[in-house]
Amino acid sequence: MTKHLNLVFFLALWCFSPLVSFAQSPIEIAQKIDELLVSETIVSQTNICDDETFLRRAFFDIVGQPPSLEDVLVYGLEPSVNKRSLLIEFLLTDKTYGANWSRYWRDVIMFRRTNDQSLLGVAALESYLTDALNNGVSWDRIAVDFITAKGDIREDGRAVFIAAQQGRPEETVSEISRIFLGIQIQCAQCHDHPTDRWKQEQFHELVAFFPRVALRPQQEPRSFVVTATDFVGRRRTANANNRFVGTLEHTMPNLVEPTQPGQVMTPKFFVSGQTLPAGTSDAVRRDSLARWITSPDNPWFAKAVTNRVWAELVGEGFYEPVDDIGPDRTPSAPKTMDYLATEFTLSGYDIKWLMQTIMSTQAYQRSSLDRRNYDQIPFQANTIQPLRSDQLFDSMMSVFEISDAGSEGTGQGPRRSQSPRNVFADVFGYDPNDPRGDVTVSIPQSLAMMNSTFINEQIQARQGTMLSRLLQEVQSDRAAVQELYLRVFSRRPNRKELNTSLAYIKQVANRGESFEDLLWALLNSAEFKTRR
Amino acid sequence: MTTHQINRRSWLQTSATALTSVAAWKSPIIANAAAMRTNAKACILLWMGGGPSQFETFSPKPDHANGGETTVTSTAVSGIQISSQLPATAAAMKDLCLIRSVHGPEGSHPRASYVSHTGYLPTASVKHPTIGAHVVQHIGDQESELPSFVHIGRSRGVFSAGLLGVEYDPFILNSANQMPANTELSTSKDRYVRRLGLLENLEDDGSTEGSRQFVKANRNLYGKASRLVLSPQMKTFDITQERSDVRSSYGDGNFAAGCLMARRLVEAGVTFIEVASSNWDTHFDNASRTNTLCQEVDKPYAQLLADLKQRGLLDTTLVIWMGEFGRTPRINSRAGRDHYPRAFNVALAGAGVQGGQVIGATDASGNNITDQPVSVNDLLTTIYDALGIDSFHENISRIGRPIQIVEDGEIIDGVF
Repeated sequence: MTKHLNLVFFLALWCFSPLVSFAQSPIEIAQKIDELLVSETIVSQTNICDDETFLRRAFFDIVGQPPSLEDVLVYGLEPSVNKRSLLIEFLLTDKTYGANWSRYWRDVIMFRRTNDQSLLGVAALESYLTDALNNGVSWDRIAVDFITAKGDIREDGRAVFIAAQQGRPEETVSEISRIFLGIQIQCAQCHDHPTDRWKQEQFHELVAFFPRVALRPQQEPRSFVVTATDFVGRRRTANANNRFVGTLEHTMPNLVEPTQPGQVMTPKFFVSGQTLPAGTSDAVRRDSLARWITSPDNPWFAKAVTNRVWAELVGEGFYEPVDDIGPDRTPSAPKTMDYLATEFTLSGYDIKWLMQTIMSTQAYQRSSLDRRNYDQIPFQANTIQPLRSDQLFDSMMSVFEISDAGSEGTGQGPRRSQSPRNVFADVFGYDPNDPRGDVTVSIPQSLAMMNSTFINEQIQARQGTMLSRLLQEVQSDRAAVQELYLRVFSRRPNRKELNTSLAYIKQVANRGESFEDLLWALLNSAEFKTRR
Repeated sequence: MTTHQINRRSWLQTSATALTSVAAWKSPIIANAAAMRTNAKACILLWMGGGPSQFETFSPKPDHANGGETTVTSTAVSGIQISSQLPATAAAMKDLCLIRSVHGPEGSHPRASYVSHTGYLPTASVKHPTIGAHVVQHIGDQESELPSFVHIGRSRGVFSAGLLGVEYDPFILNSANQMPANTELSTSKDRYVRRLGLLENLEDDGSTEGSRQFVKANRNLYGKASRLVLSPQMKTFDITQERSDVRSSYGDGNFAAGCLMARRLVEAGVTFIEVASSNWDTHFDNASRTNTLCQEVDKPYAQLLADLKQRGLLDTTLVIWMGEFGRTPRINSRAGRDHYPRAFNVALAGAGVQGGQVIGATDASGNNITDQPVSVNDLLTTIYDALGIDSFHENISRIGRPIQIVEDGEIIDGVF
């Protein structure tokens, strides 16, 4: 999996011409963001992180894996003053960028699935997202694709979004609102929202865009198909157990008198108030909703994704949790949030532009700290984050210098096939929608890191492993410890770490064994499992 | 749950319900009648995944066409008859409270299983905690070297602690015949301890002012995990330590091994154990397949109850036998039975449950409940009550919404 990004080639060649040119320069916008942020939050310390930290952070954030040993050495020696910008630009053109972020969005969608059958489409979902992100498909286009999708979930990943909720209209629109608007309107399903302005009718008017959608099973090959019907004949209707067909209109149940008939709802988008009449076809309903949601007039569409990407990169969102924003919430730096969201809209909802802009800010490039306490000022530092399961897995692959070929593309979804990556995800996966401070480590995770056969085979100093090659090539213990640190943490050991390691090696008096223990200890440390 | 999340919602201070919820959340011990009445310490959930047929287990209907060919046997309690496929269970009837009138809202496996484990329909916005997570959060032993919540066996869905967080997630054993994954030391014990020491020293050397939280969390975790793997109690997970006559008293198969393991875990102080049996989804050849499944379950179930009783543990251990729903009264054209959530069976034992009785009934055809309908949420409320847990207790979701352990449930009359 790991590949050595040839920075020498890149730095020499691209210093003179940017890879991509944007209407608004990410670097200029980033400067304005920093000015606004300082004015809003009274940033007291502005420590910018060192180059080693920046390199590792940028690698994880863009391509989801650490830099190789060569990358660390080459980047350290590179003299250009703008090498951080060049690195960001370069990494955004690497295909691994799409793979990394497709896994993030896959988890955003799939951790909230209410229908495990949708796992059949996970490979297709990843593949759609990877291509879209690598090709620079704009965020509004991606949203439209998910909202208006039809088809076989194993062939067309766009359909997996709806299948994850079994095509059930209430759950599907709740997820559309949560992910694309950051508004949790489903709280108004049974009663008016307790704190926000949303009324029960408004939720059910949103559901009314989706009653005709259904999820049909298919044999040979076994799959599920997102369909829509504009004619409901005398066929089986949807019931509590499945949703093979939809209904023509959505009925809001009468919760006061459950035996009484409910109220038929017509589609109305709660943000803009735009409506459609009863009887409108499914295609028009969903196309309209998708257009209205992604309209530049709707500020929540840009804010939801801007806030999320900012939170992933800087470590804390303007709004937390990232999927609970909306007009009744106060962000921690409102002007900065608005400005970034507005500029993102002007960029044409360009995700690469958003990444490059945020990563060019001082807010992103500060030294890292633990998550702040609630009463401390935000954005004084980049917040340390636990690596996502795929990032941690790829880090290990990178350290061990092995590839995970064959562990993907099984078509069985991440929780089905028993590939090392998927077994790993069962233990280390977490829901990226949850506030990152709530993501806690578990005992099975440390058991896997300490004792799994897979890891223990790879840390052996015997023939064929990374460690055996290193010990063969580097005769000095001191140099070997330094190289091991560079390989595992992308940095050199400090004096104390070096002394502790050398003392340990001396005490054990068996070179192979002591280095195995050292590698084991580094892999099991908090630093290896976090991005700083 | 952090205070941060509680504080960040101003409406928690303004809404009356929410005020109660904050108060309830802050009080570690809910001093209500239920908590005072019971001293239950453990719970074993025997999960019959797929939905067991009530006609071939606890509600045989030999006098009706819907009953098929299943015959009945008398039990240790006069007047109570169950399927003759469960002879050992019949003999243990004095300890069992059969509920023949449970009904649920869902007829699809994953959704009904979710409802039975959580009391809620699945939703994308809140991951509701499973029974075991609530139980260990409230009555689990925080100091235990062994995990408090153990799930044994592969089943269709293993439910999580959801919004309670991973510390209440189940520790999963794929099979009771193997040691838990990654608990066997990869090196000698001496070298393992030496490695842990190196890890600790290097983390001290490398930790910076700003990264102490992660280092501290990592150290706590490795402390817990290594206490587990180095614990003499790890032998609890090795059922081969049981005498061969004890092992054979449980019968053969994974479920039998799971029941034996469950008994060993309860003895060692583990709070919640779920043992999964699967394949009860008998859409065809229901009678013969259910017969096989009954053979796999009958003997270990009865032996588990007997062992707990003999050790004086049944008074403090609730044992639940249940699946996600029952099966259709009408036998289909493939000699099978389909999903039927409208009337199915659950059996309870131990922890103050009055054994030797039947609660609820269905009519002669098995189609309809005729006496004392029990909803899934009534059942869950009763389970929590038996364990001294207040089912009105509210947890706060990620977006500040209070979520009761169970809503709209009532304690089933006559169980205690």
